[in-house]
Amino acid sequence: MEDNVIVRLDNCSIAFDGETVLNNLSLDIHDEEFVTLLGPSGCGKTTTLRFIGGFLTPDSGRVLFDGKDVTHVPPYKREVNTVFQRYALFPHLNVFENIAFGLRLKKVPENEIKELVGEMIELVNLRGFESRKIGAMSGGQQQRVAIARALVNKPRILLLDEPLGALDLKLRKDMQVELKRIQQQLDITFVYVTHDQEEALTMSDTVVVMNDGIIQQIGTPEDIYNEPRNAFVADFIGESNIIEGIMHEDYLVQFAGEKFKCVDKGFEKDEFVDVVVRPEDIQIVTPNKGDLWGVVKSVVFKGVHFEMLIEQAGYTWKVHSTQSAEPGAQVGLKIGPDEIHIMKRSEA
Amino acid sequence: MINKKARIAGVPYVIWMVVFIVAPLCMVAWYAFTDKSGQFTIDNISSIGQYAPVFARSIWLALIATVICLLLAFPLSYLISRMSGARQSLMIMLIMLPMWMNFLLRTYAWMTLLENNGLINRFLGLFGLGPFQMINTQGAVVLGMVYNYLPFMILPLYSIMTKIDDSIINAAKDLGANMWQVTWRVIIPLAMPGITTGITMVFVPSISTFIISRMLGGGGNILIGDLIEMQFLGNTYNPHLGSAMALVLMVIVLLCMSIANQFDDEEMEGMLL
Repeated sequence: MEDNVIVRLDNCSIAFDGETVLNNLSLDIHDEEFVTLLGPSGCGKTTTLRFIGGFLTPDSGRVLFDGKDVTHVPPYKREVNTVFQRYALFPHLNVFENIAFGLRLKKVPENEIKELVGEMIELVNLRGFESRKIGAMSGGQQQRVAIARALVNKPRILLLDEPLGALDLKLRKDMQVELKRIQQQLDITFVYVTHDQEEALTMSDTVVVMNDGIIQQIGTPEDIYNEPRNAFVADFIGESNIIEGIMHEDYLVQFAGEKFKCVDKGFEKDEFVDVVVRPEDIQIVTPNKGDLWGVVKSVVFKGVHFEMLIEQAGYTWKVHSTQSAEPGAQVGLKIGPDEIHIMKRSEA
Repeated sequence: MINKKARIAGVPYVIWMVVFIVAPLCMVAWYAFTDKSGQFTIDNISSIGQYAPVFARSIWLALIATVICLLLAFPLSYLISRMSGARQSLMIMLIMLPMWMNFLLRTYAWMTLLENNGLINRFLGLFGLGPFQMINTQGAVVLGMVYNYLPFMILPLYSIMTKIDDSIINAAKDLGANMWQVTWRVIIPLAMPGITTGITMVFVPSISTFIISRMLGGGGNILIGDLIEMQFLGNTYNPHLGSAMALVLMVIVLLCMSIANQFDDEEMEGMLL
């Protein structure tokens, strides 16, 4: 993996109005990878994207492209194109001319422009819309134009700044699949910014979870979901029960007043830790078969599953199950060793 | 469908329009096509030919002033439109500030500055330069026009440019456009409605001004406005000829405006090919 790094951010920091937005951020992005920068608003993910695009220069640190320092190279000289948050299409041009914009700047011959734009229109399924005005297109169609306009320039990297944020849920799901298809078809690097964890997990090869200008965890979607490194990641990626516990020894943890077998090791003896259990990893059983006993407080139908809040010894567990229980009923909770994730206690 | 109540709301303006716009226009037209005894004639119109040089000078100077205003206002308006909200208001206030002062006073001020022994020449004299002939030249007239009408170019340009989102400009840069290409291919086409409004608002008062040319141009640079004024208030009193000139001036302005609008439309159509 080391030798196909296409972009390297090297100790980049920036502050706006004296407030640090990114703090010594270092990140490698590999060729043909779908990388998602994920985090709450204000975490610095868009700022990171702007470093790569060239719209912003870090106060300190370097941006390397193919090993060459491009920290101070302006956007129009980079092999990078961007799909902007609210599309940023040119309202005075039609669909064809919007897509052709970059090619015209490069003085590509007219017949070649026709061919390349035609290919892109095919790729994003907009045939027949060539002479449409931008104002007469729906949000989803505008999104496709924006993607085609960026991709027609054959960038090495495509940057996407929350591109699906303005679309409704159904369209967003379709576009997620489509974006992934386009990325695989063209074999180029996508750097995708979103605050939507589901979007990140669906499309990415690598997810970079950020908070407060610091990278919290880098990993595959499976790693990030199953092995969150700290409470922030666990909480941000999907829903979690996060509870304080004590690691008595390797493979043995105590929380909620009970001792549990687990698969984690390498902690100090009796170290205080955070324990993460996903709501869907808790089984509801009859009280005598459970590891823990609780009372059902509420049941909400969520479509695929029921979401139940179960109170047990002062802690409220969130449980997702396809079977529902009556509110007020006594139930047992069963948690297997594989479902327990132990994290170092975060400083905060 | 506009309902009855809405129609009533329009009545005051219709009355205003008939009394103060339509009726005077008809009177101007009537005067232009009659002689002193009230007989129909086209002599007034046909005699305007001898004033062709004055008309040409008026159009030429107004054109130069409009172009200079556009060149000055365009980059300035763009810069202001990219500033933070508070600074934008401050800059617009500074631009409006001279307009709060009386028009005559402002133009007088330029007289004292430009005179042969005025402030500028005296200052240059300290370095052994000059004195230069500045007052009573065409340059002084153009300066007066630019100075007085520049805000009318800046305001429409500024107000349309604030509507151009930063992300559109970033998108153009991202697609490989340098600042020059961004200007030509994105900002100018999008600002076109503001440009034509600004041109109208500078060109029309410039071509019909008479104060500026009289005060800064001396006797040798009279414009259409001066000619018309003389027919009504001067000792050559002839409202029939004056009306004819006013009518011709109006036609010239309408023609220039339709050319400008034509350009605007073609530009837009070219973009939408």
